[in-house]
Amino acid sequence: MLYFSDLLQYSDVFFSGLMTTVLLTVLTTFLGIALGTSCAAIRQYGNKASQSVVAVYVEIIRNTPFIVQLFFIFFGLPSLGMKLSPWEASMIALTINLGAYSTEIIRAGLGSISKGQMEAAKVLGLSFCQTLTRVIFTPAFEKIYPALTSQCIIVMLGSAVISQISVEDLTYAANLVQSRNFRAFESYFVTALLYLGLSILLRFAFNTVGKRLFAYRSTQ
Amino acid sequence: MKRFIKLVSKAMIIIAGFSVFNATADVLQDIQGRKLIRIAVPQDFPPFGSIGTDLKPQGIDVDMANYIADEMGVKIEIVPVTSANRIPYLQTKKVDLVISSLGKNPEREKAIDFSTPYAPFFLGVFGSKDVEVTKIEDLAGKIVGVTRGSVEDLELEKHAPKSVNVRRFEDNNTTLTAYLSGQVNLIATGNLVATEIAKRQPQRAPESKFMLKDSPCYIGMAEGEVALQAKVNELINKALASGKLNNISMEWLKAPLPKGFGV
Amino acid sequence: MIEFTNYDILRNLLFATQWTIVLSFAAFIGGSSVALALTALRLTRNATVQKVVRIYVELFQGTPLLMQMFLCFFGLSMLGYEISAWGAAILSLTLFTSAFLVEIWRGCIDTLPKGQREASRCLGLSFLQTLRYIILPQAIRVATPPTVGFSVQVIKGTALASVIGFVELTKVGTMLNNATFEPFKVFTLVALIYFLLCYPLSWYSKTLEKKFNVSR
Repeated sequence: MLYFSDLLQYSDVFFSGLMTTVLLTVLTTFLGIALGTSCAAIRQYGNKASQSVVAVYVEIIRNTPFIVQLFFIFFGLPSLGMKLSPWEASMIALTINLGAYSTEIIRAGLGSISKGQMEAAKVLGLSFCQTLTRVIFTPAFEKIYPALTSQCIIVMLGSAVISQISVEDLTYAANLVQSRNFRAFESYFVTALLYLGLSILLRFAFNTVGKRLFAYRSTQ
Repeated sequence: MKRFIKLVSKAMIIIAGFSVFNATADVLQDIQGRKLIRIAVPQDFPPFGSIGTDLKPQGIDVDMANYIADEMGVKIEIVPVTSANRIPYLQTKKVDLVISSLGKNPEREKAIDFSTPYAPFFLGVFGSKDVEVTKIEDLAGKIVGVTRGSVEDLELEKHAPKSVNVRRFEDNNTTLTAYLSGQVNLIATGNLVATEIAKRQPQRAPESKFMLKDSPCYIGMAEGEVALQAKVNELINKALASGKLNNISMEWLKAPLPKGFGV
Repeated sequence: MIEFTNYDILRNLLFATQWTIVLSFAAFIGGSSVALALTALRLTRNATVQKVVRIYVELFQGTPLLMQMFLCFFGLSMLGYEISAWGAAILSLTLFTSAFLVEIWRGCIDTLPKGQREASRCLGLSFLQTLRYIILPQAIRVATPPTVGFSVQVIKGTALASVIGFVELTKVGTMLNNATFEPFKVFTLVALIYFLLCYPLSWYSKTLEKKFNVSR
């Protein structure tokens, strides 16, 4: 009744889909966290006006479904004269999405650093940049690292939706194979396993990186 | 492993409180037994099936579906489907018939059975006026939008040059939206769909570039349902003889059936 | 040719919103019931049971909701079980919701001092009594803000049911978009309706959190 061997001839389709998903995830993780960090900094230290702009952005993204955001960017924006390729549209949608969530997470981290620390850093003669990277960001990121990385994994899983606008990711591969050999269960099952493997692998990678990043703790 | 999956899925269904039953063999008997026929129709594919302001599907396929149900003397349940999922719907017995501008091809014939044709259809590549394309070789290096799993998708895959960038979308809705929003400037679809777009959005009216395939529409049903297939064929032939098919064609296509259709 | 007025668009979208709400409720109730059972199982301290719960969480948190829906909808039918788009959507959303809620609630219970549990056992309270009188009253207070917050994710998750053909807000959005060819207008309205559904919940969750932090 189940014919997993029927999928073998499509292994290259699955592989290229997997690679697209991985590539998109890596890129959006970096871009999204960068966006989130800057927005969190604005939210924490910026002026009133810029703070409320960031707040509106975060609330809009957090309170609407990703698929609607994606459709809006891909189909809605061209009528305003902004035409984006499926790749660009997904990159932007994923980055904006992760950016909004990570803003909230990173802001919580920044908020946990007490003012006294900054003052102490100043007294000790650290420059503004040194204070920012060593006294504020590093401990703040260490606190929120688990929350931030699980958000990245959630965004990776959410990226399955971009297959809807013809980006050839892993889900697209599953749908394509299913539309060719009509083996829906097998193809979705294998794809679900691939995603599961990917998220486990990603978590492992984040943990390894985390240990390196925050290694100063153990040497103290 | 298979048993394990079955067990797990069974457990999940029971947890969620859904009744589980296996579909039986003869669909025609089932239909007559429950006095209800479930027919899959498109809702994103004018003039075959598109939604009215009440969100109810209407079009050739919907008329055809109502005709079949009337003739069989059973009630009808209209199930809107997309072109990517209509065959799984049939295979998984979620519907009894698919009347969804379904074209015939060898891949599909392996998975489901077909009736005799009930409506004419030509597949082609259409696009905006500024794109220079007159034959399939001209597609090289161009972007073409198409609905995943449709006959035109498979035709492009087989015949188009390798360098063509085929963008496959989940359903016709999305493919049409991609064309209308300018995301793609060429689409492979049916002649009637292109006419319909032209009617609705004259400024993006797609121009016919070349024909891909003559692919009339058939009614699809699950494999091996001989009794159902015979019944449906009988009804189609009756409609053809009585002029019913021609009337449907006149209403939605504003043209009579081509000479010799279905003979 | 059919003309859609702005009123038609809005009317149909609002009609579809009903289904988004119904589906969200069903998924949330289903998900929290399953999560409650799993959380109780987890507290039994049986190593095997805990492992099973962990695998469950891992499985449904580690795969895309969209994939779970496809599997429930087409996958289960391929194995011979009939399931409607509606059933598949509820089933997959229940699994998804419960996997996240179990984790959230575990975190909440872990914040309660372990000593309390031990003390109540010493006082002769049974496992269920400990659960009922010691853990639950405190855990509910801690768990309410993140649970309300997560309900927003459930509402947004229902949008994916559009892909398997369940007619809710996003699906009607794409249908209307195709009939009107006005993606900007339609998707702005769709996003706005989702925002109006979700934002009050987000806001309420935040307020609760603040109140809770103050009172502690």
